[in-house]
Amino acid sequence: MRNFVAIVFDQKEKAYKGLHELWQLDEAADITVHGTAVVHRDDWGRFEVDTKETHPVFATAVGVGIGALLGALAGPAGAAIGAASGALIGGAVDLDRSDTRQRAVVETEFVLGRGQSAVIADVSEDWNSAIETRMRALGGTVHRHSRSSLQGDAAAADGFYPYDDYLYPYEYVPSRYTPYYGW
Amino acid sequence: MSKTAEAHSLAREPRVKDALDHARAAAQELHGALSDAAAKRGGAIKADLESVPTKARAIAESIGSSLGAQNAAAKQSLAEAATYLQATAAHATEALKSSGRAAETSIQRAITDARTSVQKISEAVAAKRSAAPTLQLKK
Repeated sequence: MRNFVAIVFDQKEKAYKGLHELWQLDEAADITVHGTAVVHRDDWGRFEVDTKETHPVFATAVGVGIGALLGALAGPAGAAIGAASGALIGGAVDLDRSDTRQRAVVETEFVLGRGQSAVIADVSEDWNSAIETRMRALGGTVHRHSRSSLQGDAAAADGFYPYDDYLYPYEYVPSRYTPYYGW
Repeated sequence: MSKTAEAHSLAREPRVKDALDHARAAAQELHGALSDAAAKRGGAIKADLESVPTKARAIAESIGSSLGAQNAAAKQSLAEAATYLQATAAHATEALKSSGRAAETSIQRAITDARTSVQKISEAVAAKRSAAPTLQLKK
């Protein structure tokens, strides 16, 4: 089954450990990972996606995709709000209502709280236990949403489906996080 | 040893990589190189891009030669991956021949196509893994 997962950790270094473990599960053929990204929410509620791509269009796409996914994981009403919140990361799209911005912060915080980090991943898995077991051992909480249901929701709505093509299709760790990585 | 324990033990043994795994790794590396190049400027980008068309076509050819060993679902994904790899090669070639905004647009298209090609190969890998027997017991 193809799923999107968000694995939430209280510390950045744990998120990078989780990212590595996820790709190790792929290496062992327990799951297949199609793409991953790591996102952090700071103490003021803003979130940041670790990316090496500097093109503003891509940065916005990443923000929209991950914001929408966090919203979808938070609940059916959260998807569009999450997307709008995520678009703020790229800076190319803005929300013109401060109350909407505030609501977006609240909705997506249901999954990713202030000061937390998450590994976002698109995976194929025949059973859930591989990810659950490994991530629970690291202190992570797994949120899961089937890809087909997101596609179904998109088809039933306005076709808005920003989830593909914004995750790194391999294990990417920014150089500023390498001290945390690989232990 | 019980059958379940034996199966678990077998599953922990180092996995032998096949042609599909190697193609996936090569496509991942190609996407990484392209996105690294995009962060650079001017002549440095061009130097990094020069080998991209050749590499992309080589991966596409490698995929084509391994199609016969795959199941129907994997074949479909791999055929699409090969198409995206050829497009990656074409956009990288365009970027090498152009400059400024046009080159930047071609590089972004090459990155997008390379990313999609990796995802298509990953879908083939997932299809192959799902079709494989879950218990491979010793006789």
